[in-house]
Amino acid sequence: MLSSFDPRISRLELPESAPPPSDKAALDQFPTYEVFHQRKENAAYVYVGPVHAPEADVAFLFGKEQFSRRFPCTGMWVVLTSAIQVTEYGDDQQSVYDRLPLPLLPADQLAAADAAGMESYDIFHLKKRGKAHAHVGQVSATSPEAALQAAKAAFGDQRPVVNVWVIRSADLLRSDEADRDMWTTTPDKKYREAISYKVQDRIDRFKQEG
Amino acid sequence: MYGSASTHDIPTKATTGLENEDPILLAEFEARIARGEKIEPTDWMPQLYRKQLTRMIEQHAHSEIIGSLPEGTWITRAPGFRRKMAQMAKVQDEVGHAQLLYSAAETLGKTREQMLSDLVNGKSKYSNVFNYPTPTWADSNVISWLIDAGAIVNQMANAKGSYGPYCRALDRICAEEAFHLKYGHDAVVHMATGTPIQRKMMQEALNRWWPAIMTFFGPSDKMSTHTEILMRWKVKMATNDACRQQFLDMYVPKIWEIGLTLPDANLRKNEDGVWEFSEPDWEDFKRVINGDGPCNAERIAVRRAAEENGAWVRRAMQQPQAKYVRPLA
Repeated sequence: MLSSFDPRISRLELPESAPPPSDKAALDQFPTYEVFHQRKENAAYVYVGPVHAPEADVAFLFGKEQFSRRFPCTGMWVVLTSAIQVTEYGDDQQSVYDRLPLPLLPADQLAAADAAGMESYDIFHLKKRGKAHAHVGQVSATSPEAALQAAKAAFGDQRPVVNVWVIRSADLLRSDEADRDMWTTTPDKKYREAISYKVQDRIDRFKQEG
Repeated sequence: MYGSASTHDIPTKATTGLENEDPILLAEFEARIARGEKIEPTDWMPQLYRKQLTRMIEQHAHSEIIGSLPEGTWITRAPGFRRKMAQMAKVQDEVGHAQLLYSAAETLGKTREQMLSDLVNGKSKYSNVFNYPTPTWADSNVISWLIDAGAIVNQMANAKGSYGPYCRALDRICAEEAFHLKYGHDAVVHMATGTPIQRKMMQEALNRWWPAIMTFFGPSDKMSTHTEILMRWKVKMATNDACRQQFLDMYVPKIWEIGLTLPDANLRKNEDGVWEFSEPDWEDFKRVINGDGPCNAERIAVRRAAEENGAWVRRAMQQPQAKYVRPLA
């Protein structure tokens, strides 16, 4: 039996040496979700990282745990990774909108497309490689491709745009305004702040007593 | 942050494989890095870049998971409620960092499940210092302060590296770290300036840990073709020796000022401002990293037990129709 300095580990009664387990099966492989957070009221939602989860609600929980426990956060969105339409990546200082092929339909015809088929899409821009995608707004369109054209018309004058993410608005799971209380838990945990540790006084006193 | 300050198993003898890469794509890739632009997951990249980054980020992630075990051990026995809370918050941070890092490594093509498998199968390495025990609260304090400090030296450098997802993860990790370093320093100062018994306990813990700390940044880099290429590609941002010197410069004075000593009679800063020290026992380092350390078996066994004990939860949540997709960024 494995004996440890930690009695809790000794109590597990683990074998001293065991044959290595077989590789984890695909069973454990959850889908991935991408998470966006809002750092303060009225700020744009910004990409913060992925989580693995079996479904959107759980992804939201994991996202909250992973990305909102240490710093101010006032809202969170999650979306299945596979639901994001991604453009190619351009160089810093350029705009990928410049590389889009011409619209298949002229703008007026695009706008006149079947209103029943129109859906809302959320558009995210990456301004610089290595930074994070940020939400720039919504457009209405009949397909992700058309949404990208609409985004070009609406936000194409912003520059640089290294990469664009297009997400059908209905695919984003968003935190509810009514639940905003859930984000107000951090201020009372002062022991997690560097500023709570004022050690210099003690060092100085020690040196004086020397 | 516990970051595996040096990446173990750099294939120094293997070929770089660069002769098999498309020269035009390679030139574009290198030009982008030379311009100071980051590489994103969908960009073309040389095999060596992908392989080395995967190994580096994966080892960093494993180090966060395994490194939280010796400190986690002390949560229930930390002196006082406030220290228990702080120790718990720190351990929780470190495990969160592992999640961020696994995700960053995943964008390079290796799945998280494969990485976790390789950890419990002993195929992947983690920072060797965690193969040593923390017999007292003071040992835990040494990790909180000095191992974190060493990792921060390395990670601040890596945050300026060339791979976008790793930079994003490190930016967040470094932001969370500020508290760890202060917390660790506070704990060490508290003991070192306390009662004679506390002081003795801290000195003994430091004596136990110092040899491991000196190996933390890895052996002197052989200036191989590999090292040169990896530094040009901004995968490796500083040599092991440069990191070690920076660490000594920042922390030895802080250790000395609270009246603690270091168990190396040759440790001193020479006239050129370079720290001299006794060469660490690299044979012992090799022996421990290859499995024969005091805690290797325990660390892996605990990790395996956690995997097995959590399997039913994952099974219960599994959606048979769900399909894995690599994270985007």
